[in-house]
Amino acid sequence: MSLDMTASQPQARLASARDYVELMKPRIMMLVVFTALAGLVAAVGVTGQGINPVLASVAVLAVALGSGAAGAINMWYDSDIDAVMVRTSTRPIPSGAVPRSEALAMGMIMSALSVLLMWIASNVLAAALLALSIVYYGWFYTMVLKRRTAQNIVIGGAAGAFPPVIGWAAVTGSAPLDAWILFAIIFFWTPPHFWALSLVAHKEYEKAGVPMLPVTSGAKSTRTHILLYTIALTPIGLAPLATGLGGWLYAGVGGLLSASFLYFAVKVYRSGAGDADAGDAERKLAMSMFAFSILYLFGLFAALIAEHGFGLYFPLGGA
Amino acid sequence: MTEPMSQSEPDAAAILKAQKRRNVWLAWALVAFVVIVGVTTAIRIQQADFSGGDRLYFSGYLDEAAKEKRDREAVERARAAEAKAAAAAADPAPEGADDE
Repeated sequence: MSLDMTASQPQARLASARDYVELMKPRIMMLVVFTALAGLVAAVGVTGQGINPVLASVAVLAVALGSGAAGAINMWYDSDIDAVMVRTSTRPIPSGAVPRSEALAMGMIMSALSVLLMWIASNVLAAALLALSIVYYGWFYTMVLKRRTAQNIVIGGAAGAFPPVIGWAAVTGSAPLDAWILFAIIFFWTPPHFWALSLVAHKEYEKAGVPMLPVTSGAKSTRTHILLYTIALTPIGLAPLATGLGGWLYAGVGGLLSASFLYFAVKVYRSGAGDADAGDAERKLAMSMFAFSILYLFGLFAALIAEHGFGLYFPLGGA
Repeated sequence: MTEPMSQSEPDAAAILKAQKRRNVWLAWALVAFVVIVGVTTAIRIQQADFSGGDRLYFSGYLDEAAKEKRDREAVERARAAEAKAAAAAADPAPEGADDE
C-alpha cells in the first residue's frame, strides 16, 4: 500500500497564517522554549555568568525557530501517515492547506536562520547543538527511527532533550554536568509520556504502519515499559538536588511530582489500558497520565526557573 | 468539455489575495530578521573587547583556553617590559660602554 502524497497534490483550501503556525507544532515548541529558558536561567544562577537580556531573548527565539523548523520538516515527511490517522488528518498538509514542498522549504529556511541567529546571539557551541537537535529530530528521528523501530521514542527522545543544554550553552559556552542532567530528565521522561498516549492511539499507529511499542509488543509490555522508565526517571528527576542545581523548592516540587508520576505509572501498569477490551476508564487513565507527564516536566523546570530566576534558591546543605 | 468548479475549490481571486497576504507576512518576517541581526550585532560589538583579541561572532566561548593563554602572555610581556624598564632605570649603562 502506498501512502505517498506528492507535492503536486491540489490545494483543497486556502492556507491561513494559523496553518503555518500549526506546521511548526506550537505545543511542542512551547515546551521546547520553556525548557531552553530553564536551562538558560539555571546557567545564569549557577555560574553567575550574565547574558544580555536582548541576546538571551534572541537565543530563545532561535530555539523556538529551530523547533518550528524541525516540526515543519517532520510534517513534510510524515504527511502520508498523518493523512491516515484521524488525530493528525486535519494537519495543514493532509488537509490540503499547505503544499508539501512549501512545508519543506519553510523547514529548511527556518533551520538555517535559527542556527545563524543562535550563532550571532550567543556562541558556536549553542548554535552547533541547535543544528544537531534539528537534524536529530528532522532527519534521524523522523526519517530513520520512527518507521523502523519500536524504540523510536526512546532514541528519538534525545531530540527534545537538547533545549536546556542549548540554553545553558548560550550563556556559558559550555555544557557541564548540570546541563546534561536536565537533558537526562527529558530523555527519560519522553518514553512514558508518549507511550501513555500510544496506549490510547495504538490502533491509529497500527493503521499507519508506525511501529510504536503497543503495536509491536502489545499493551502489557508497554505498561511495563512505562513503569520501568518512570522508576528510572525518579532518581534522575531528583538528581539536581545532588549537584546543588536544585534547592529546597525543587526538592518539594520534584518530590511531590515524582511520587505522583510513579503513582500514575503503577496505576496504568495495573490497569488494562491499551488492551483490546479496554474501556473508557482505562482510556481516561492513560490520557490522565499523558496529561500529568506534561505537568511533571513543566513543574520541575518551573521550579528551577523560580529558584534561579526569582531568587528562591535555598540550597539543601544550607550553604 | 469542462467540468464545473466545485464550491469548495478556492477561486483565482481568493488565491491571489491569500498570496499577497502571505507575501506581506514574509516581508515583515524578513524585516524583523534584519532588525534582530542588526540589534544583536550592535550589542555584540559593544560587549566585545577587540583589543584583547576577541572576534565578533566566531570565537564564541570555545576559544576560552586560547583567550586565557593570550591574556597570560600579554600580562607576562607587560611584566617583562616593566621589569626591564625598572632595571634600566636602576642601573643605567656606563657611558662609553658601547665603544668597547
